[in-house]
Amino acid sequence: MKTKILMAGVAATTLLFSFIAIEASAQSIKHLKAPDDNADCYTCHQKVTPRIAQNWYESKHGVGLMKCFVCHGQPDGKGSVPFAVVPDAATVCRKCHEPAMKRMVKKFGIEPDCYTCHPFHQNSLHHDAYGKSESKN
Amino acid sequence: MKVTRRDVLKTAAAASAMAAIGTPLTQVAQAASNEPEEWVKSVCRFCGTGCGVMVGVKGGKVVTVKGDPNNHNAGFLCLKGALMPPIVYSKERVTKPYIRKNGKLEPASWDEAMSLVTDKFKAAIKDHGPTSVAYYGSGQALTEESYLASKIWKAGLGSNNVEGNPRLCMASAVGGYVTTFGKDEPCGSYTDIDNATCFFIIGSNMSECHPILFKRVAKRKQNSPNVKVIVVDPRKTNTARIADEHVSFKPGTDLAILNAMAHVIINEELDNPRFHGKYCNFIVDWKTKKKGSFDDYIKFLEDYTPEKVEKLSGVPADQIVRIAKMFAESSGTMSFWCMGLNQRIRGVWANNLVSNLHLLTGQIGKPGATPFSLTGQPNACGGVRDTGSLCHLLPAGRLIKKPEHRAALEKQWGIPAGTIAPKPGLHTIALWNAFSEGKVKAMFVICTNPAHSLPNVNIYTEGMKRKDNFMVLSEPFMDAETVKYCDVLLPPAFWCEKRGTYGCSERRYSLLKKSVEPMGECRSDFEILMDFAKRMDVDPKVIPFKEIDDVWNEWRMVSAATPYNFSGMTRERMEKESGILWPCPTEDHPGTKIRYVRGEDPNIPKDYKNKYKFYGKKDNRAWIILRPYKGAAEEPDADYPMVLTTGRVIDHWHTGTMTMKVPELRRSFPKAYVEVNVEDAKKAGIKNGDDVVLETRRDTMTFQAKVSDVCRPGLVFVPWYDSKLMINKLTLNAFDAGSKQPEYKICAVRIKKA
Repeated sequence: MKTKILMAGVAATTLLFSFIAIEASAQSIKHLKAPDDNADCYTCHQKVTPRIAQNWYESKHGVGLMKCFVCHGQPDGKGSVPFAVVPDAATVCRKCHEPAMKRMVKKFGIEPDCYTCHPFHQNSLHHDAYGKSESKN
Repeated sequence: MKVTRRDVLKTAAAASAMAAIGTPLTQVAQAASNEPEEWVKSVCRFCGTGCGVMVGVKGGKVVTVKGDPNNHNAGFLCLKGALMPPIVYSKERVTKPYIRKNGKLEPASWDEAMSLVTDKFKAAIKDHGPTSVAYYGSGQALTEESYLASKIWKAGLGSNNVEGNPRLCMASAVGGYVTTFGKDEPCGSYTDIDNATCFFIIGSNMSECHPILFKRVAKRKQNSPNVKVIVVDPRKTNTARIADEHVSFKPGTDLAILNAMAHVIINEELDNPRFHGKYCNFIVDWKTKKKGSFDDYIKFLEDYTPEKVEKLSGVPADQIVRIAKMFAESSGTMSFWCMGLNQRIRGVWANNLVSNLHLLTGQIGKPGATPFSLTGQPNACGGVRDTGSLCHLLPAGRLIKKPEHRAALEKQWGIPAGTIAPKPGLHTIALWNAFSEGKVKAMFVICTNPAHSLPNVNIYTEGMKRKDNFMVLSEPFMDAETVKYCDVLLPPAFWCEKRGTYGCSERRYSLLKKSVEPMGECRSDFEILMDFAKRMDVDPKVIPFKEIDDVWNEWRMVSAATPYNFSGMTRERMEKESGILWPCPTEDHPGTKIRYVRGEDPNIPKDYKNKYKFYGKKDNRAWIILRPYKGAAEEPDADYPMVLTTGRVIDHWHTGTMTMKVPELRRSFPKAYVEVNVEDAKKAGIKNGDDVVLETRRDTMTFQAKVSDVCRPGLVFVPWYDSKLMINKLTLNAFDAGSKQPEYKICAVRIKKA
């Protein structure tokens, strides 16, 4: 019994610290207040986070014009998707990738967070075609 | 509760992982609270790709969507499809009927609204005859709704004035297929994408207009690097990102380019004489349907040498040679086209010319080889074209002008011979002209926004203001432009609030199950049309339907005696499967991916002597029609020296009544703009973000400039979704003589810095 109480305590403490870390992390997300009619993330992010923007542009999502807001929402929270620097796989990725997520569970027993194995801004589509893109010339 | 050491470690690890990836608590909470209780099978509400979606429902509300893994889209959605739920609960939803009184829409009961509608329609028929009433429908209405409306008007009210926005979108493709093959609709399917080794994309920005199909093309290219992609477009769009050849040309000269490709193919001996000699006729004079020989075709093409066409189109002769060779030499070439060819005064001809290339080379009827027309709306290709819900058609490819077709329908419908009027009704532009002139007195508009989508729209909105005509509109959103002009506004159930079928570009029909109850007093258009028909005293034999599934079953019966044949697509089967491609003659038939080929198409006997049978033509041969180059209706000149073209952006769809309800999409492209080439901008002193005045012979408007190299010099582009900046005030309502589809894609314009 003592062991159980101890173990429950460890779990609770870990969770508590985790939540504090999350809150701190959430608070540390800073974003310029964009005008209400501007969700063209790419234009600004080419300048402020050029590597991420270019990675997106050259990725499958970029070629297919799956734009930032589909997964990340809107930084002022006015979007229909909750804003997140790292989108929630269970709700966001699932919209399109559920078959693959289910395969991961079935084949490898991995409850997918997706990102660990698939750095999503770096999944280029046409290795040759995009070898020709500006950043790689 | 037993807590194991393993559980504790797992919980701690999960918490740490959440912290590590920085997922905010609110998001986790929201995700959990929005976890659907039920997933309901449906189809995306947007383009003609027809992606299967699963609607996530909780507490009787739509909370999310995901792709249907069993439909052709294999679970993927584009950005519009993935963001649909907020549209359903828009504050702009019309949830009760309205009647216009003293210029203002006032709430009314269903009975008051429908009584007024039927009084007006009855009075119009009594005073001016049945041709004074019309139906204007939509490629977004359900198949059953389009079929029902067409039947009510043609068999119940005696009016063939049954039209809809597919006339603005797909009519030239219909004309192209019918003239070349004798039957409408594509002969291939999306599966061909996975087998093609060359993609010929002309007049289509499929990356923005059909993103999931573009994704499949891109995937095909990724998996097989030798796959070639040719993009023929005067704009260098996102689609051109995966192109091996981007062919930029002077707008309107694509007909000459297509003939030049045929010239090269024959000159290089890359044609397939075994195929075209056995399965094709060469039609040298369309009016007399005079047949000619292959030599006549060669002679006709002498005017289209690559060098001559280079002067006309601006495309280098060697590029024309290259793309012609790519087209002909590949093991399977799949062509895609859309509004760039269809919305033209020579739209049917342009369609014929693409099919000519396939017939000339035998690039047809084998996996990966097919001419494939893309559709703009979720149910235009299917529910309107197939069910004959246009002014000259009857269901399943039958024509009103043919007595035997009318008689067949009258017999199937169990109505007296001679009930269907022998004269086709007014096509869309003629119909709205007649309405604007007060000749058509009463119009029932369903699921479309003509005050925004018609070309040269000012003349039609002026017509809608008349006091001596009457328009009833079934429209889900209060801010749709046409609401400003209607006399009665009805609240329809929207998308997942009703049940029925959509048929997409590849002849695939999928069932949309009802996911949630309609908002407020909303009713499905099926209920609205049935109520209307009963109040109009339509013969009960014409409308023997208790529920929408009864309409589907009748449509299956009506199609059965034709090459369309939906017999095997029972409701029970559609409940289980995620779409079936017609023809599907029996319940155990898997559906048809390739038409006109023995062993694939159930309309061809298995022991038929030849591999191909183009059964739409009397001698079973498809037609290679000699179509000359002809320019646009309004070419640029000294006064209006540039070309204006219109189209979509990926974020918005049609008139924006739906996509503007999604915050992300609205804010991504909040207003229309004009895309100007760098050189033209320099000449006119225009910088990025400047206000630019666009002036055509119809109207003048100001847009913010986006200066880039997307448009070729001499061309400007404006997207058409924005209700506050409606580019259709400037577009032209000239139309194709055959298909009656207007030429949205080309008109003359002049621009200057504001």
